[in-house]
Amino acid sequence: MSPKLTWKVLRKDMAIGPRSPLFLWMIVLPFAMTLILQVAFGSLFNPEPRLGIVDDGSSEITAQIEKMDGVTLTLLDDAEELKRQVEANDLDAGLILPAGFDAAVKGGEKPDLQFYVGGESLASNRIILTVTAIDLVRELEGSAAPVTVDVVNFGTVGLPISVRLVPVIVFYALVMAGIFIPGSNLVEEKEQGTLMALLVSPAKIGDVLTAKWALGTILATVMATATLALNQALGGNWLQVLVVVVIAASLSSMVGLLIGTFAKDSAMMFGLVKGLGIFLFAPTMFYIFPEWPQWIAKLFPLYWIIEPIWHVSVMGGSISEVWFELAVAVGITVALIPVVGFVARRVQAQMAAR
Amino acid sequence: MTVPAINVEGLRFSYGDLEAVKGISFDVQPGEILGFLGPNGAGKSTTIKMLTGQITPKGGKAQVLGIDISADDADLQAQIGVCFEEKNLYLNMSAKENLDFYASLFGIKEPETMEILRRVGLAERAKDRVHTFSKGMRQRMMISRAFVNKPKVLFLDEPTDGLDPVTSASIRKTIREEADRGAAVLLTTHDMFEADELSDRIAFLNDGEIVAIDTAENLKLKYGTRSVKVRLRDGAGVREEHIELASDGSSARLAELAASPDLLTIHTEEATLEKIFIELTGRGLAG
Repeated sequence: MSPKLTWKVLRKDMAIGPRSPLFLWMIVLPFAMTLILQVAFGSLFNPEPRLGIVDDGSSEITAQIEKMDGVTLTLLDDAEELKRQVEANDLDAGLILPAGFDAAVKGGEKPDLQFYVGGESLASNRIILTVTAIDLVRELEGSAAPVTVDVVNFGTVGLPISVRLVPVIVFYALVMAGIFIPGSNLVEEKEQGTLMALLVSPAKIGDVLTAKWALGTILATVMATATLALNQALGGNWLQVLVVVVIAASLSSMVGLLIGTFAKDSAMMFGLVKGLGIFLFAPTMFYIFPEWPQWIAKLFPLYWIIEPIWHVSVMGGSISEVWFELAVAVGITVALIPVVGFVARRVQAQMAAR
Repeated sequence: MTVPAINVEGLRFSYGDLEAVKGISFDVQPGEILGFLGPNGAGKSTTIKMLTGQITPKGGKAQVLGIDISADDADLQAQIGVCFEEKNLYLNMSAKENLDFYASLFGIKEPETMEILRRVGLAERAKDRVHTFSKGMRQRMMISRAFVNKPKVLFLDEPTDGLDPVTSASIRKTIREEADRGAAVLLTTHDMFEADELSDRIAFLNDGEIVAIDTAENLKLKYGTRSVKVRLRDGAGVREEHIELASDGSSARLAELAASPDLLTIHTEEATLEKIFIELTGRGLAG
């Protein structure tokens, strides 16, 4: 096997890949799925309440709101500008805190509080901001709330569905780029007969297969990382996430290569992926339904790549906590190499004998 | 004595129980074109597949440029050019990209791509993707790809199959140029005209065996019958008479007809390769 020849085949595949509709589909699909799921479950069209404040006296209320999650705060200098933004629906509500407001409240006075509400703002946002403002003023005054609110959770306490769907979307990216692209690329070479043309040049079957595997690994790494970033799952430990994604991409690509080597034509390739679909995607279902017995997920080979991605990227864990899963993933990848080699040699002989 | 570019001894191959090549032997000298003439299924393509390393022979031995074909030697692949019967080009790449890519596999840093395309009349379409090409243009691309590494041995499997006469003539001219450059050419065809015009020697292949191998001229002399066709006026019509020159009394009969006042034309007739093939094998070349 020659690294130079492998690189030449890979460079050719990278150059002509974007000319294939499948390549475009690979790029579009994870983005489209992210968009659809954010619309369905996420907050794409349901943004946080937007509050504007003109604070002339460094009020504690402003400081408290700044610390809050779930409210987008904009500080302004000018009351007229605040009103304009509320009217234009750039803000859901606006609050003007005059100088000495905190002292007046604490002194038992009843100062006027100007609170402007946008006519086009969502009712839910108006309620959230109004209640928040009243609560903070009461806190500033030092008075107790007239009722005690006891929060009771109904249903399973856990991560929102939009987060639990992240493994599915990332897996889609891995399947499209890591399994479909190298698999279909190899099948296309067989169908068009270009594989035989390659094999009567100095390139060997090992060079060709390594190039296809590298193609899938690179594309799957890029697409899975981009998908994680789109879903806000690429945090401060991005380097660890990248390592995990590369291992996942390399196993996906090896599976793609195995399918591509085995499939005689595109119809068989798509049939195999469809047939294996439930087997491939099964581990992701256990993230959507955490109440299912989790040990079953471990029976599926691709669990060993999706669990490290989930743990390190979505849950913000460390790579050292999933070393076993990663070791299994690498082990499966290495174990597939001779299988791919064996099938490839058989297929090569069958092709030549046609 | 010149070392043959291709040397084959007792080469065999079988697809399961079907013996496709039954112990053939031949050689091809540098600069020589050997035409493999035979019907479909005669074993022509199988022989090329063995010699180019696509399939492993089941028996016998063969050397190309002195290298044993079973050695799977990259040096051998680097010195041969193969034109497949099936048109296997990258359709989404331009003509130039196709050739540049193949040249890069042979480690050619500055390929003479445009010159090669010019030779096959495709220079003006260099930047066009191959999927826009006609059948003839794709075939010319196939030929040009086989030339990209200036090979010492060329394996051409039905290079003009199904092409129009003009394109076929152009391809034959290019093949002859390669042989003149010194390349040994093994050409398979079932077109007896092509074999006759292009080949320095012809091997008749039938059912996996070489039934005859020699120059076209020698084959015709050895196996063919020379005859003369005489056309004579016959009342209001015309009648023809064939005289085999080797038969008894042929000279006298020919002289008699030549003196006849009804004589219109006399044509000499030479045996065709197809007739010889039929005579040797009992079957035609069409399949």
